[in-house]
Amino acid sequence: MRTYRGLMRYLEGAVPYILMAIVSAPFLTMYIGFFLRAFGEGAVLGILPRKWGFSNFQFLWKPIAWGLGQTTMWTALGNTILFAVTSGIVVTVICMLAGYALSRVEFRGRNFYLVLQLVLHAVPGQILLIAVFFLLLYVGLLHRIPGVALARASLEIPLGIWMAKGFFDGIPWDVERSAMVDGCTRFQVWYKIFLPLVKPGIAAVFIWGFLFAWHDFIYVYTLLPGTIKVMSTLIQSLLATEVIDYGYLAALSLIYAVPPLALFVFLQRALLKVPVFGGKGIG
Amino acid sequence: MRVTLKELSKYFGDVRAVDNLSLDIQDKEFVALLGPSGCGKTTTLLTIAGFYKPTSGSVLFDGRVVDHLAPRERNIGMVFQSYALYPHLNALDNIAFPLKLKGLAKRLREERVKKVATLLQIEDLLHRRPAELSGGQQQRVALARALVKEPDLLLLDEPLSNLDAKLRIAMRAELKRLQKDLGITTIFVTHDQIEAMTMADRIAVLDKGRLQQVGSPEELYRYPANTFVAGFIGTPPMNLLEAYLVVQEGKPMIMAKHFGFPLPAEIIRDLPHGGERREVLFGIRPEDIRLGHGEIRGEVYVVEPLGRDVLITLKMGEEIIKVLAPADLKLQTGEIAKLSFPPEKIHLFDNETGESLLRRNPR
Repeated sequence: MRTYRGLMRYLEGAVPYILMAIVSAPFLTMYIGFFLRAFGEGAVLGILPRKWGFSNFQFLWKPIAWGLGQTTMWTALGNTILFAVTSGIVVTVICMLAGYALSRVEFRGRNFYLVLQLVLHAVPGQILLIAVFFLLLYVGLLHRIPGVALARASLEIPLGIWMAKGFFDGIPWDVERSAMVDGCTRFQVWYKIFLPLVKPGIAAVFIWGFLFAWHDFIYVYTLLPGTIKVMSTLIQSLLATEVIDYGYLAALSLIYAVPPLALFVFLQRALLKVPVFGGKGIG
Repeated sequence: MRVTLKELSKYFGDVRAVDNLSLDIQDKEFVALLGPSGCGKTTTLLTIAGFYKPTSGSVLFDGRVVDHLAPRERNIGMVFQSYALYPHLNALDNIAFPLKLKGLAKRLREERVKKVATLLQIEDLLHRRPAELSGGQQQRVALARALVKEPDLLLLDEPLSNLDAKLRIAMRAELKRLQKDLGITTIFVTHDQIEAMTMADRIAVLDKGRLQQVGSPEELYRYPANTFVAGFIGTPPMNLLEAYLVVQEGKPMIMAKHFGFPLPAEIIRDLPHGGERREVLFGIRPEDIRLGHGEIRGEVYVVEPLGRDVLITLKMGEEIIKVLAPADLKLQTGEIAKLSFPPEKIHLFDNETGESLLRRNPR
């Protein structure tokens, strides 16, 4: 009797784990397959590797050929970093300023503007491509990474503003008033008091702008010339060849995935550093 | 510095937060704005600080209109209910922040921070962050930050209400002493009448955005201008009973359900004509009622010992009356007590407007 009950309790405890295993199985399979491909050589049946090695990572020291041209992984990676960091910085600066204004300053049309941001966010970026193309053409930024990054950033700004506003909303009014009595102008309040207090918000908004640009394909594919490759377009161009080396692609994709992960680890501390506001019993 | 509020009004949409408020605050004076929550006292304070622009009327500092000046241009120090310290700076940097904005050299800054920290006895806490300070310590840091720039005017928004009861009483005396020593004009917002009574030179009582009465704590206690002030100042609050004021044979008489007695004519403003019964509210403070002798009878309903005193609730028919008596008075529940209302201690209010019907001078 006792052992039966013990067994039941054991099984009961196992149920959540079994369910989680079932739910995560497809994703795990994909990731495992991905790693097997990247580090395996001479795969049997396309999956099981014959031996382990780094031969798939030869692009680290060899140029990559595509069509008639060639480039290196490092150029593409550098381009991607430039593209994503530019986008991240643009998104952060604009969202931090706009978020403060929408959180703290009363002005006509404020609510309309806030709703408008949500509507804008719902618009798919692709339908703007033609307009963006001409806009960049007129201002002379077409076919340049910073220009396209600017266009890409604009897609993430609407929701980024809401994110930033949420962080500013969390700062008590008394802190702002106190700073203004102490001698701050509105801009000094923002710069000297609020920005240090919303560090997690800055990190979050930066990651927001960075990640979407990092993963972007359609904007860089359409608005950058074929000679300027970023990681996503490089991988795509390798897919478009007749013979596809999956191990090579998996290894390249692995490198593509590392920087965002590294960024998360790097910014993790800032993300978790939420300030405690003074006063007992006051949030 | 002298502060003048001239017919000040502040509306938020249709809500009249402050309605036609005029008040003159003398140099070095300690004035409390007292009222229940939502009475407009904090709005008034924030308007004086310059966060709100008056809807109409003006704020004057030493006779100069300051409505166009931003808060930072008014040289005021302010302490908030939440203290509003900057969480990312330690106590020293918090206090030095206003001086840093003024562009004072580091050595001078530290000198002045030291001085004010010594004054408030927080020298040992200067390297702690706000999160590492207790409520009372945070409050001292906030006060130091307000005082370090040597303001012309100190604004305190319920600074004591987040402290525990014991600390609050200690800080009351300390703040009062500090204000007198430094001689800074101070405006203090509170909903606690005891805080206002104990600390302020003068109290301005506000209700629903309107000024009810201004005066010294004693004036407000002895001559409340209306039923609101009468009920708000003093614990336990004043007893208010419905009654009639009549004139019989040229002598004013107060007639209530369970008692009636003549009053001296000279204390009452415009007496009713002979034969007229005027509805009034009869007021008497619990501590002014004499127990033990008199014509009036009441049944002891509740006896609450308070240590030095005893609070007795009496029933006169359906009406309830509270009496504060010395603790040695022994009364049992159900007992019939004799009591009297000394005529020089009574209050009369118009039943409709709530305004006091007494002259203030003869007493």
